[in-house]
Amino acid sequence: MLEAIGLTKTYDGSVALDDLNLTVRAGEVFCLLGANGAGKTTTINLFLRFIAPTKGTARIAGLDVADHPLETKRHLAYIPEQVTLYRHLTGLENLEYFSVLGGHPDYTEEQLLGFFDQVGLSRDAAGKRVGTYSKGMRQKVGIAIARAKQATALLLDEPTSGLDPKASNEFSELLRFMSVSGVAVLMATHDLFRAKESGTRVGIMKRGRLVTTLDTGDVGHADLEKIYLQHMHD
Amino acid sequence: MTAPLGRMLRHEWRGLVADRTAWLVLGLFGFLVAYAVMNGATWNRTQSRTLDSAAAQADARLAGLRQALDSLPADAPPPGPFGRDPRSPASVGGRDGAQYTVLPPGPLAATAVGQSDLLPQYFQVSMRSRQTFANAQEIENPSNLLEGRFDLAFVIGSLFPLLILALSYNLLSAEREQGTLALVASQPVSLGRHLLAKVLVRGGFITLVAIVVALVSLAAAGVSLTGPGAPARIGLWILVVVSYGALWFAAALAANVVPRSSAANAVLLATVWLAVVVVVPAVLNVVAKTTHPVPSRVELISAMRTASNDASARGAALLAKVYGDHPELAPSESVDAGEFMSRTYAVQDEVDRQIAPVLARFDEQLVRQQQLAERYRFLSPAVVTHAALTDLAGTGAPRYRAWLDQVLGFHQQWQEFFIPRAFRRQWLTPADFDAIPRFRYQAEPDSAVRGRVAVGLLGLAIPTVVLLLLAGNRIRRFEVAG
Repeated sequence: MLEAIGLTKTYDGSVALDDLNLTVRAGEVFCLLGANGAGKTTTINLFLRFIAPTKGTARIAGLDVADHPLETKRHLAYIPEQVTLYRHLTGLENLEYFSVLGGHPDYTEEQLLGFFDQVGLSRDAAGKRVGTYSKGMRQKVGIAIARAKQATALLLDEPTSGLDPKASNEFSELLRFMSVSGVAVLMATHDLFRAKESGTRVGIMKRGRLVTTLDTGDVGHADLEKIYLQHMHD
Repeated sequence: MTAPLGRMLRHEWRGLVADRTAWLVLGLFGFLVAYAVMNGATWNRTQSRTLDSAAAQADARLAGLRQALDSLPADAPPPGPFGRDPRSPASVGGRDGAQYTVLPPGPLAATAVGQSDLLPQYFQVSMRSRQTFANAQEIENPSNLLEGRFDLAFVIGSLFPLLILALSYNLLSAEREQGTLALVASQPVSLGRHLLAKVLVRGGFITLVAIVVALVSLAAAGVSLTGPGAPARIGLWILVVVSYGALWFAAALAANVVPRSSAANAVLLATVWLAVVVVVPAVLNVVAKTTHPVPSRVELISAMRTASNDASARGAALLAKVYGDHPELAPSESVDAGEFMSRTYAVQDEVDRQIAPVLARFDEQLVRQQQLAERYRFLSPAVVTHAALTDLAGTGAPRYRAWLDQVLGFHQQWQEFFIPRAFRRQWLTPADFDAIPRFRYQAEPDSAVRGRVAVGLLGLAIPTVVLLLLAGNRIRRFEVAG
C-alpha cells in the first residue's frame, strides 16, 4: 500500500509538488496523468527516497520512507522510463544481481530464466550482453526484475514512452498480473489509452497539485481525454 | 536481510572483468611495477659490485702493506718523510692504507633507490681533513639525478594513486550518469554498501597486482625474500602499499558521495593528486631551504682558503705550539726533512679548527631542514609513503645519517691512531698493524625501522579514517535524483 500525506517538494522556492494526499491500496492501479513538470516524477522519486521531501510523509506498507529507507524498498519494485542495466553483463546476469540486491539471492538459473519466459524475452537473448539490447528488450528485463522481486508496491515512471504498441501492451499484462497478485501500483504516464485500459483510478496533476481523481470504470476513453484536456486548458 | 556482500563482490568482479579499460589500467600497472623492480635491481647490482670491490680493496690494501712490512729486511733504512713505506704512519694512514667506509645495501634495496644514487655510499677515509672526502662526490647523469630513478617506490608513491583514481574517480558518478544507479538505489541496499563492494573489488585487485608482481619480479631479479630481516620488511612493505592505496580509494569515495559529474570528479581528484604528489613535497623542500638556508658553499670554500693561507703562513709557529702543548708528540730524533710533514699536520689541524664553526653551521642547518621536512611530511601522504618505502629498502635518510655519523667517528679514530705516530715519526710495527682501526658498519636494529614505519602507517591511516567518516556522513544525504 502506498500513501502520501501532505507530500510537498520545493526547489529554491519553486513548487514541484504541492500538498499531495493519495492512497493506493493493494490491487489498485493508480495512473498519474499530467503535462511534463506537473510533479509525477517528483512523486515517484519521493516514494523511492531519491529526493527528500520539503514537507509531508510518504509511506509504503505503513512505514515512513524517511525513517525506513531500506526497509520500505524491500516492498517496492521500480521501473523507470529508461531501464538502464549493466551493459557489460548479460540480461540474465543483470536479473540475477538485482534479485540478489532485492533480497532474493536464492533463485536458480532456471527460475530466473522462467521470469524471462513470462515477460517474453527469449533465453537466447537473455545470454547476450545488455549493451546489444533494444529499448524494448531492456524494459522487459526491467519487468522481469520487478516480477522477480515479489514486491507489494510497484512504481512506474512513464515506462511505455518510446515503446512500440506490442511492447506497450506487454506492460498492460504486467499491470494486470500485479493487480491480481494484490500489488499496489502507481504509474506516471502520458498514455491516456493505457491509463484507461490498465488503471483502476487515474489522477490528473497540474503544476504540482493533484487536481482530480477518477475511477476508470466511470469514464469512457473519449471522456477521459476530454476531462484531461479541460484541465490542461484551465 | 540485506544482500550478501560476497554476491555483490562477484557482480563487481564480473563487471571489472568485462571492462576492457580496467584490464588496460591493470596490465599497464603490472608492467610498470615489474619494470621498476628490474630497474631497481639492476641499479642495486651495479652499486653492490662497486661497494663490494671498495670493501675488498680496503682489506687488500692493509693486507698488502702488512705483507710488505713483514718482508722488509731488518736492516732496511728508515723511511723518508715523503716515501711510500709500510712502516711510515704518514704513508699508511694518509694514502696507501686509506679505508673505504661502505654503507652496505639493505635486504630490499632493489625496491627503492631513494637518494642512494645521489649521496655517496662509501667514503675514502684517511688521516687527512674531513673536507678531503666529505666533498668528493661523484656526479653522474644530472637529469637522472634530478628526476630520480624509475624505481618501485616511485611507481607506488606516484603512479599507483593515479591508476587507483583511474579505476575509481567515477564509482558512483558514472552509475548516476548512465542510469544504473536508479535501479540499484530502488533496492534495499545502502549506497555505502554498494560503494564498499566496488572499492573492495577494485582496490583488492590493483593492490594484489602491485604486491604479487613486485614480489615475483624481486624473486626473478635474484633478491632473496627469505634472507635475514627480509620477511618482516616485506610484510611492512605490503602494509604500507595497502594503507596508501586505501587512502586514495577513500579520497575517490569522498569525491563520489557528492553528486557531481564524472568529469568534475576527475578534475578534482587529478588536482588532489598533483597537490599531494608533486606540489606539497616541492613546497616543503623550498620552505625548508628558505627558512633554514645552509651557508653558501662559496662561503665555506673561502673560509677554508683563508684559514689555510693563514695557517700555512704561521706553519712553523703552529708546529712549535703543538710541540709546546704536547711535548710527547716531538720525534725522538730530529729529522729536518720530516719537519715539513709535521708542519702540514699542524696546519691541517689549525685549518680544521678554524672552519669548524662554518662546518657546524652547515650541518646544523641541514639537520634543521631535515627535521622540518620530517615534521611536516604528514601534509603529504606521498612523502610519508616514500619515507616509509625508502626506510624499508635501507635507502632512507635516517639510516644514511646514522652511517655518516659512524664514518665521522671512524675518521676521528683513524686520525687519532695515525697522526700522533706521524708526529713522533714512530714507525709502524706488525703489532701496530693489528691495532689499526677498521670500519665496521653497525646496522641499526630492525625495531627502529619498524617504529618509524609504524608512525608512517599511522600518518596514512588517520587521513583515511577522516575521509571515510566524511564520506559516510555525506552519503546519507545523497540524492539519487534531482
